[in-house]
Amino acid sequence: MGDPHSSNEGTSMTEDTNADIAVMVVDDHPMWRDGVARDLEAAGFRVVATADGVAAAGRRARATTPDVVLMDMHLPDGNGADATVAVLEASPQTKILVLSASAERNDVLDAIKAGATGYLVKSASAEELFDAVRATSAGQAVFTPGLAGLVLGEFRRMSSSPQPESDTRPTLTDRETEVLRLVAKGLSAKQIATRLTLSHRTVENHVQATLRKLQLANRVELTRYVIEKGL
Amino acid sequence: MQTADRVGTTLTSSDPDTPLWRASQVFRLVTLVYAVGYQVATVDNYTNPRLSWMLVASMAVWSGASALMLARASLPRWQVVLADQIIVVALMASTRLVADYDWYSTRQTLPTTLWATNAVISAAILLGPKGGIASGVAMSVVSALVRDRFDSDLWSDATAPVLLSAGLALGMASNTARRAHEELRRAARSAAITEERERLARQVHDGVLQVLALVRRRGLEIGGPAAELAELAGEQEVALRVLISEQAAPRGDHTDSIVDVRALLRTQAGTSVAVSTPADPVLVDSDVADELAAVVATALSNVELHAGADAKAYVLLEDVDGELIVSIRDDGHGIPAGRLAAAEAEGRMGVSKSILGRVESLGGTAILDTEEGEGTEWEIRIPRTKGLR
Repeated sequence: MGDPHSSNEGTSMTEDTNADIAVMVVDDHPMWRDGVARDLEAAGFRVVATADGVAAAGRRARATTPDVVLMDMHLPDGNGADATVAVLEASPQTKILVLSASAERNDVLDAIKAGATGYLVKSASAEELFDAVRATSAGQAVFTPGLAGLVLGEFRRMSSSPQPESDTRPTLTDRETEVLRLVAKGLSAKQIATRLTLSHRTVENHVQATLRKLQLANRVELTRYVIEKGL
Repeated sequence: MQTADRVGTTLTSSDPDTPLWRASQVFRLVTLVYAVGYQVATVDNYTNPRLSWMLVASMAVWSGASALMLARASLPRWQVVLADQIIVVALMASTRLVADYDWYSTRQTLPTTLWATNAVISAAILLGPKGGIASGVAMSVVSALVRDRFDSDLWSDATAPVLLSAGLALGMASNTARRAHEELRRAARSAAITEERERLARQVHDGVLQVLALVRRRGLEIGGPAAELAELAGEQEVALRVLISEQAAPRGDHTDSIVDVRALLRTQAGTSVAVSTPADPVLVDSDVADELAAVVATALSNVELHAGADAKAYVLLEDVDGELIVSIRDDGHGIPAGRLAAAEAEGRMGVSKSILGRVESLGGTAILDTEEGEGTEWEIRIPRTKGLR
């Protein structure tokens, strides 16, 4: 889990790793977009593109195949979930990190369901942002307590809603639920590992698994919807 | 409440019946034209043509005058409407002065003809369906009396049914317009009030609460009598926070006391407090929600007092299998093992007591988990049976 408390190790390496990470910034606010791009470049990241909307994000992701996309939620021609879909269609290997000014609400959840693997509030510090970009690039899930609360709620909603036919929807294991609850209560991966006497790596894996299952559940729901509507 | 007042006055200044009054003036003009046409076509058969022309003229004058008075509202409308009734009755009665029995007993009243309906319409707009029907009955009776139609074939005469249905229809239209207007006004007003409350809540949140929090923190640092002030400021801060969260939560109307407890908890979020909730509304009876919000506010204020300046707090709301779970955790100093027992022995367990008391009144449980250096964590569970849906 790429949270800011736990990823201070290996500072001497960061300059090298940063240079290996190609980043695209998607935001309709020019000042914010350029500011973030400048900060990232100053920290050694390669900013390969910026985009101000869903269509531009899709086009430039196809052209530049960035490792990480920093995604704003409010875009003039759609929302962050739409843009996430557009980027992943154009460049499936790209990882999406949602960066939003709004509190964690349904739109963030939609972006996560669409395939984003992390969420950070815009008020996060520059260091937190860099850590999050590195973690996202390494395939880790970047969680805030708020996002964990949303994901927990989503699995509970799915498990309490009536199940038609065979149960194909993925559910969380008890351990995954336990880990997610601790994330939602603000514990870092390290603290969770200590509390549950697990390895740091196992905690990370549990957290990533919850996101994968949520995205899978979303596809199952979508497929069912398509079949039901006969589309 | 600037916004509320502005919306209120702009809406009340436009009368809900105004369009109906305007339409009725158009009808009055049309019926006047018809009556004059009728006069022109049949005046040769009258016994007193000169008087009949004078009566037509007075009918035209009253049509114009009443239209002006209703539009300008220089006189109260009920007076104009009353005058309308009297004048129409008088004009209908004048039939007997201008024509002989053979003429008027088989035809319409003179010079009013269809114009008589205006009395019924104005009564209906002013007083609703009952007034409309009452006037319709009165005009029908007068018309039948004047023309001596009671003993002959009353059913072949369309006057009464037309007058009665006009009265009923216009009366109902007028009532509907008034009701719709009232609803619109209420909705606009409540929207304005909500907006105003949210604005106030934001400002109070940014200003007053911060100052209260500062007073509390500094007061405790200074100690002595200042600590008492700090305590008082702290109590008021909690009370104010709860009040704001109540106001910020959408309430619906008075009969609907179910609220989304997420909204109440989110108002307590801040730079050092993160609030996590599900994406879907968590609907709860408003008194249960208020108690929960108060519990969270109390626990958070305790965090701010005792956990240390850099401590962060995390509130998690979960809605699971028939119960609500609210966790309030901080990453502060925590409470050393013996301290809690010692505090209890000294009777200084006010905060815990208040949390436990509130939670028990909701039929739930509250567990405090703490260790020195590990922060504190409340876990509050409320069963979804009593007052929860």
